[in-house]
Order: sequence, then C-alpha cells, then structure tokens
Amino acid sequence: MFRNRREGLALALPAAIFSTLLFLVPVAILLSEAFRSDTGFSLQGYVDFFASPLNRSVFLRTLKLGVLVAGSAAIIGYAAAFCIVNLPGKARGTVFGMVVLPLMISPVARTYAWIVILGRTGIVNDAIVGLGLSASPIRLLFTETAVFLGLLQLFLPLMIISLVSAMENIPRDVIPAARVLGASWLNVFFKVILPLTKEGLVIGGTLVFTGALTAYITPAILGGSKVLMLETLLYQKVNVSNDFVSASVIAMILIAMSFAANLVLKRIATARS
Amino acid sequence: MSDTFVQLTDLTLTYGKNIAVPALNLSIREGELIALLGPSGCGKTTTMRAIAGLLAPASGSIHIDGRDVTRLAANKRGIGLVFQSYALFPHLNAFENVAFGLRLQKLPEAEIKSRTEQGMATVGLSGFEGRKPAEMSGGQQQRLALARSLVMRPKVLLLDEPLSNLDARLRLEMRTELQRVQKETGVTMVFVTHDQAEALALADRIVLMQQGKIEQLGTPAQLYAQPETAFAAEFMGFENIFKVAGDSVQNDHGSLPLGYRPDSAILAWRPDGVRVGQGPHQGRVTACSFAGGHREYVIDSALGPVKANADIALPEAQIGDSLSFDLPQATARPLRA
Repeated sequence: MFRNRREGLALALPAAIFSTLLFLVPVAILLSEAFRSDTGFSLQGYVDFFASPLNRSVFLRTLKLGVLVAGSAAIIGYAAAFCIVNLPGKARGTVFGMVVLPLMISPVARTYAWIVILGRTGIVNDAIVGLGLSASPIRLLFTETAVFLGLLQLFLPLMIISLVSAMENIPRDVIPAARVLGASWLNVFFKVILPLTKEGLVIGGTLVFTGALTAYITPAILGGSKVLMLETLLYQKVNVSNDFVSASVIAMILIAMSFAANLVLKRIATARS
Repeated sequence: MSDTFVQLTDLTLTYGKNIAVPALNLSIREGELIALLGPSGCGKTTTMRAIAGLLAPASGSIHIDGRDVTRLAANKRGIGLVFQSYALFPHLNAFENVAFGLRLQKLPEAEIKSRTEQGMATVGLSGFEGRKPAEMSGGQQQRLALARSLVMRPKVLLLDEPLSNLDARLRLEMRTELQRVQKETGVTMVFVTHDQAEALALADRIVLMQQGKIEQLGTPAQLYAQPETAFAAEFMGFENIFKVAGDSVQNDHGSLPLGYRPDSAILAWRPDGVRVGQGPHQGRVTACSFAGGHREYVIDSALGPVKANADIALPEAQIGDSLSFDLPQATARPLRA
C-alpha cells in the first residue's frame, strides 16, 4: 500500500504524538507521584493511604458499589436483552432505542433527575408522606442507595447493549432445542445462554464496573461528602487538600481495580462452560 | 381407534391474529412414520412445534400415549425434535451435545457415557466425540442432531425438513439411514417436508396439508395413484389438470372435446398418461427435453401448454413441429372440485 514503511508510520505520527505527549506523559508523571518519597522509590503512599480507616471504608464502599452495580446490571440486563432479542422487528427497534436513549443525555442531567425523584420534596417522598407511611420526608438522597440507583441507571444501557449483541449471535432454535431435550428455563440460562453470551457479559461487566468506579458526577451529586467514593475522594485530595501523593495513589488503585475486574470476569468466563 | 398414539383434536394454532392451523384432527399410530407434506406456509412446521410444546395451541388438545399434554411444558413432554437448522450447541463438543439431555436427567455418569457412545455409534459418528459442531460436515451435524434426540428414547421423534440442507447424494443416504433407525428403534416418527418424493419414499402415511388443513391423508401409494383434489394431484405430479364441461375439458385458454362423458368435475393426467404421436388433438411443440427413457414435450394446444412424455422409440419432434396427442380416459384421474 505504501511505497515504504516510513510513509505508513508518518501517518500514525500525529496520533502517536498526541497520545504520548498529552496523555501518557502527564499520567506517568502523575502516577509516579504515587511511588515517590524523599528517599526515592517507595510504597509508603499506599501504606499511609490504607492506614486511614476513612480511606479503607471509602475503598471498600467503592468496591462494594462497583460489584453491586455490575451484578444488578447483569441480572436486569439479561432479562431485558432476552426480551429485546425476542421482540418482533419493529417493537425491538423501539425498545432498543429506549434503552440507548439515556446514553445521549448528559450524565449531569440524568443525575439531577434523581434529585427530583429522591429529594425531600421529590416524587417518592411526596408519595410516602401522602400515603401516611411517614410523618415527615425521609432521607433518600446522600445515601448509598441513592448512589447505587444513580450508577445503575447510568450504566445499565452499556450492559444491555453488550448482552443484546451477544444474544443475537446465539444460533436460532438452540434454545427451543434445549427445552425439548428437557431443560428448564433455569437450565437453559446456565447451560446455553450464559456460555454463549459470556464474552458479552465480560465486556458489559467491565464497562459497568469500571464506569461505576470512575464516575464522578453521580456519587458527587447523589452521595456528596456523606457517601464518599474513591473518585470523589480523589477530587477532594486534589482540590481541597492539595495532597497529590494520595490522589495519585487513588488513581493507581482505580486503574488496578479496573484491570483486576476484567481479569476476574475473563477467568470466570473461561472457567468451565 | 385403540392403537392411536398421538391424537390431535380440533387443534387450532395462531400467530397473533393469523390462524395458521384451524381445527386440525389427526391420529398417529405407534411406531408409524408419518410425513406432514405441503408447500411452505401450509402449517406443517407450526403443527410440529405445537406437538413439541414450543407453541401453545389457541384451542383443541394434544394427547400422546393416552395422556393430555396440551398444557405440558416442552421440557416435560419426552419428545425428540430434530430442527431443520440442527440447532446443535456450538459451545459443546459432539459428545456433550448428545449427552446434554441425559445430563439434565442426572443419570449416573457411566450410563450417560454408555448411552451417548451407543447413540453416536447408531448414527455412525463413533470417534467424533471431541469435535465441535463447527468442525463437522452438514451430514455429520444432521446425524449428531438425530443422535442427540434418539438417546433420550423419545415417545415421538419429530423431524423438521430433515433432508433439505443436504446435497443429493447425502439426502439418499440419510433417507435410508432414517428408515433404518426407525425400524431399529421402533420410534414413532413425524417428519415435515415440502418434497413429495421424500414423503413418498419414506413415510408409512402422508398427511398432505394446505393452508393449515388436511387436504388428503393416505399411504404413499394412495396419494400417488388416487389424489382426490386438484391440489393433491398437482403435488403428486399430475401436471395436466382441466375442468370438465359436458364431454369436453376446458380452462382459461379454451376447450377440447374428449369423445366421452366423464362423471367428475375435474380430470387430471400425468405427462406419462398423455398419448403422443396419435390422437384427435393437434398442438405445436414449444419445448422438448431428453430424459433418458422418454422425451418430455410441452405441446401448445387449445388448452394452452400440455405436458406429455413420449417413448424414446417414437420419432423425435422438433420445436415448432405439429404433434398429435390424446387425453385417454384410461389414464385420466377424476378429481372432486
């Protein structure tokens, strides 16, 4: 195609320079903070970070919410994807469009919508007070539940899209064949659907888990400082306490968690069909 | 009937608002090989899916071996179904495909192994245990799907267009294979096909269907020699079908006097039944093809194109030649309107 290799490389150069200078280098410098001390290379930053009970609880909460959001998205996602795949042509496009639509709306707007629903004078509290279930509005915002709901709603479409495309590749008649051979619907799911869609689950799971870990706006608005996550903590470290070492440590932990999640999911997927 | 094994009573099947099969009644005997024959969209596959439990009937009932299974889920019917697409599990090897149903029954491992190996041997696939379906030929996949159903020892084995995806040579091979398996296992088989040659060759009885209704039911010999309607006759190779009016036959093109007065509404002739080279009628040859023992002519006559087979011993007529022919009473098949 090219007269020589150099011409081909020249075309890749702008992208390479752009990524290296503007992304990789700053990130490397930032992350190297996480390993620096007065005496040179050190893991002291990590030791200090995990020594703090607050940091430990923020880390565990982030992990817990990430797992819960990804797990719930998988369960709801499988049900939704199975339904979508089995809809007739036109209805299928409509429902799938409804699933994708939220992705075209800013996460800020979508998160503020939850305030309308969960706030002191929101829809849910109006209903609770109106029905006499409680004399005064109860606190729904700034709880883990609020953050969980916000993140789930934010990232569920990614899981559904991954699972729908995975399910579309299941050969026709394979599920009826399993039924006729005596498989209950539970058997059909675990012995046919799950093994044939595991790639989709790994992709969807990684996207949702990583998304939940690294989302800033949703935990910031729905959790505030009462429900700190690693991402909101990171922001505090940088903007409030100017503690760049801790910020770098958190950033490294987030990256490590994302890679770990992908590895764990892949391991589960290839374990045994 | 005391020996009825599968009984469909007033079975009505619908897709949304469309009625695919209206009030079907059919009795199938134990050990019988039944063909559901008809053009695509005649309801034959729909009927089969209903027997398997994959489609809930709008009304009517299905009895198998004396038991009402109308409301029974597909996984509890004890029926085998070989899909047209084979529907093998792509993530499992051949052995695990065949063992799939046995494993669900939580049988002892030794029994699963022996029955699976026996099943694969029955269809001539011993040694292919470790292959994935994608690594097997169409014929092998077909036999694997058959083995997967057979090892379950189904009460009834349903086959959807079992030979349609195979090439001509494999088709003949699988035809004998299916007959052999059926004789060996004695399983009641219902297969769906649009190919009348396949139905005639394989089935004990043929159910000819059109628009969800049974057009005619009978042995291959009955259907072949004595079709009762124009639809059945056309399906069985009567290519010349004409309305009767008094002592002549007619269609949209025109009419021809017969010289005798038939007492049926419609008459039909196979190309073999039309006499060529002599007779009261004249036509012009518009097509001629050599077919081994005979020549196949299309003769343009007062009735439009008439299809006729002439013995190879007769002198060959060229396209454009005038040819005399006769529609003899002896080879005419009377049909009801």
